[in-house]
Amino acid sequence: MTSLDAHRVVDAVWKMESARIVAGLVRMVGDVGLAEELAQDAVLAALEQWPEAGVPDNPGAWLMAVAKRRAVDHLRREERRDRGQELLAHDLATRPDDGERDVDDVVDALDGEVGDDVLRLMFVSCHPVLSTEARVALTLRLIGGLRTDEIARAFLVSESAVAQRIVRAKRALADAQVPFEVPSGPERAARLSSVLEVIYLVFNEGYAATAGDDLMRPSLCLEALRLGRVLAELTPDEAEVHGLVALMELQQSRSAARTGPSGEPVVLHEQNRGRWDPLLIRRGFAALLRARQAGGPLGPYVLQAAIAACHARAATPEETDWPQIAALYEALVRVLPTPVVQLNRAVALAMAYGPRAGLTLVDTLTGEPALKGYHLLPAVRGDLLARLGRHGEARAEFERAASLTRNTAERAVLLRRAATCAGEEVEPAATETRPEAKPETAEAEPAAGPADGGVTLGKAMRLFLARPGLSAGTVRSYDQTLARLCRHLGEDVPLRDVTSHRIAEVFATAWGTAAGATWNRHRAALRSFATWAAERGWGPADLAAPLDRRPEPRDRTRPIDRSRLEILWERPDIPLRERTLWLLLYESAAPAEWALSLDVEDLDLPGMRGEVKGRRHWLRWQSGTAALLPVLVGDRRRGPLFLADRRPGPGRMPAATDLCPHTGRGRLSYERAEYLFKRATGDLDPEGGGYTLHRLRHSRLAHLAEDGWSAPMLMSLSGHASARTLHGFVRVPRPADTVA
Amino acid sequence: MRFLMTTKGGSRTPDAAMMAEMGAFIEEMTRAGVLLATGGLEPGGLRMVSSGGEITVTDGPFTEAKEAIVSFALIEARSREEAVELARRFWKIVGDGESAIQQVFGPEDGPDAGSR
Repeated sequence: MTSLDAHRVVDAVWKMESARIVAGLVRMVGDVGLAEELAQDAVLAALEQWPEAGVPDNPGAWLMAVAKRRAVDHLRREERRDRGQELLAHDLATRPDDGERDVDDVVDALDGEVGDDVLRLMFVSCHPVLSTEARVALTLRLIGGLRTDEIARAFLVSESAVAQRIVRAKRALADAQVPFEVPSGPERAARLSSVLEVIYLVFNEGYAATAGDDLMRPSLCLEALRLGRVLAELTPDEAEVHGLVALMELQQSRSAARTGPSGEPVVLHEQNRGRWDPLLIRRGFAALLRARQAGGPLGPYVLQAAIAACHARAATPEETDWPQIAALYEALVRVLPTPVVQLNRAVALAMAYGPRAGLTLVDTLTGEPALKGYHLLPAVRGDLLARLGRHGEARAEFERAASLTRNTAERAVLLRRAATCAGEEVEPAATETRPEAKPETAEAEPAAGPADGGVTLGKAMRLFLARPGLSAGTVRSYDQTLARLCRHLGEDVPLRDVTSHRIAEVFATAWGTAAGATWNRHRAALRSFATWAAERGWGPADLAAPLDRRPEPRDRTRPIDRSRLEILWERPDIPLRERTLWLLLYESAAPAEWALSLDVEDLDLPGMRGEVKGRRHWLRWQSGTAALLPVLVGDRRRGPLFLADRRPGPGRMPAATDLCPHTGRGRLSYERAEYLFKRATGDLDPEGGGYTLHRLRHSRLAHLAEDGWSAPMLMSLSGHASARTLHGFVRVPRPADTVA
Repeated sequence: MRFLMTTKGGSRTPDAAMMAEMGAFIEEMTRAGVLLATGGLEPGGLRMVSSGGEITVTDGPFTEAKEAIVSFALIEARSREEAVELARRFWKIVGDGESAIQQVFGPEDGPDAGSR
């Protein structure tokens, strides 16, 4: 056995086998709740025995055999207690000795029927006597093998809520005496669509997950896909099942492209199609093909999948076959006549035949009660209006959409669009009409100064800084900004006479050439002050309006141009030691301390790597370093790889580990190495100072990120312990605690 | 999570029965969505080295036949343990041999990938 934890192995096997095990047990004992209890007994037995005895050869069959043995024991007890129960007696009569058979026999005996049992279990889990929530929880639990806590994390509810949901669901099934069967006749279609609905609900819940959510949430998509594929295998003749699988595969293929670097949604036509997963697209096409082969009228899932396939087929947004999509929506509206589908159809019509065609349809939907509060309606309408040049109306629609969505990232996108519309709208009359300062409100503080001329800048500033709850650092920072304003504008100037224009002048004089971060800090202080003052009716809130936020370099370590590095590598006069060190740093993207800490015996020259002792990290280089290292090492067999130029003087004797046994020279120090690199690159650096070794390393990371390396790849190469320190190089999914 | 399983040269040559069993296994795994891609690999192949901007292409074979990777499978599993269980089924069919399982990082994998 490897180091794999036995508990995790049990969990993994259980997830793979739970549907079959529980389904087989339900057939035996006739009750979902009891079946699950028996199955859990088997899991407990595994948890007790596997860590000791090792994982059995066929762990799934082992679990199944134990569970069935428990079931038989249970039935015997029941039978003894209540011989009158025909059903159980019948079951016992037909399956007398399952418990005594050995593992392989059990598997053989079950293999033929187990698939049907799983299908029955799916239908029972999605039975209409249950609420939708209960159906979802029970399906994930019984078919997906998810634990209660996993379901709770995935749906952002408490564990006890999920547990209760499941308990109640099992009881409801027992009370209603729901038979363990796949319904036939007209009922079958309705029940199947309930199963499909549950699976698609699970998928959508995962799809709605945002960056920073618990990992369980996005994995719901995969869980739904798995459920869909299982169902498709059990019902190969059902076109809609294949349609749903196709739809999910195709939507899932876009998962990497559908959110931007900060988690904001990226709409379909702006997605980077190079990031769509071709494997899943291929699977989606295959499933769609199976749906078509199954025949029958086109149902809602097949049609939606066909629409998704149209998008998947287009290599660029411009190549999208919009007339085809509009036609498919037309067909979809007939089988699924919901306002949301109509809205989507309107979008397709607008793409195919122009915004006016879409707007005509959208305008018929504005009265729909079902779309009341649905943010996409005003969002779509705003988009169409903007494309028709009706910016004023568009802006109002975007703002309404923004107020309706619960997703903050989406809201930001909508507000940005509203702002763009506003820009277009006012362009002809862009003169500044500053709103008059509001009259003093009732809650104006009594100490606020002369009633006639209004509050002065100095007074307001002192009150602002004297508010309770400000940290000393904040006060100091705000004071810098406001004191400068007072000096330039005068303490006694009434706040209502201060214009944003004057403020902008002060900012330009004082901080016009400062770094972006400094500028932004002062701007933030001013905005905070202006908002506070405006709340009291002392001055306009938009004092900071003309001051734009300035870009701040995301990471202070800017990469060195590739072209400049090329020049460096081509210089003939660089000493071997320096050239090796620099190439090593660049190729391995490792910290300079690590490279300098390497000893000759740490090197694995054929493997092109060296072990950083104490860090348990392998530093990996490439051909450039590999060519130079043997020369640099020479016949040295031990001691520091990079040596100082001279032997250490007496009294400055380094530790024995930093001394070369062959030459008596010490280890090259970081300071010295840094100095040499700076000196050598002084004429390459446009700023003149020369580059640091740190910047050399980070340049490599930046260049690799430009070449499409992902964060985990970079981290494994560079030894960055946290993805956060990689920010600025690559898109890193943010950990939960940094998401607002 | 996706995992790449690679196998090295096995000791026995597959017979018809094993091929049939393997065919059924592959089909089942593909339908279940677990197996995304798989294939056998020629033992030799080409070797490419890029060095100092110059690319050289040489014929195989790789070092030793035993060390050469002869097949691969790209699988979608919920956990490392699940990947191991799937590989276990594979080895029950194939018999003796050696394989490696490595997680394939995708854009969705954050720094915590694999630690769920």
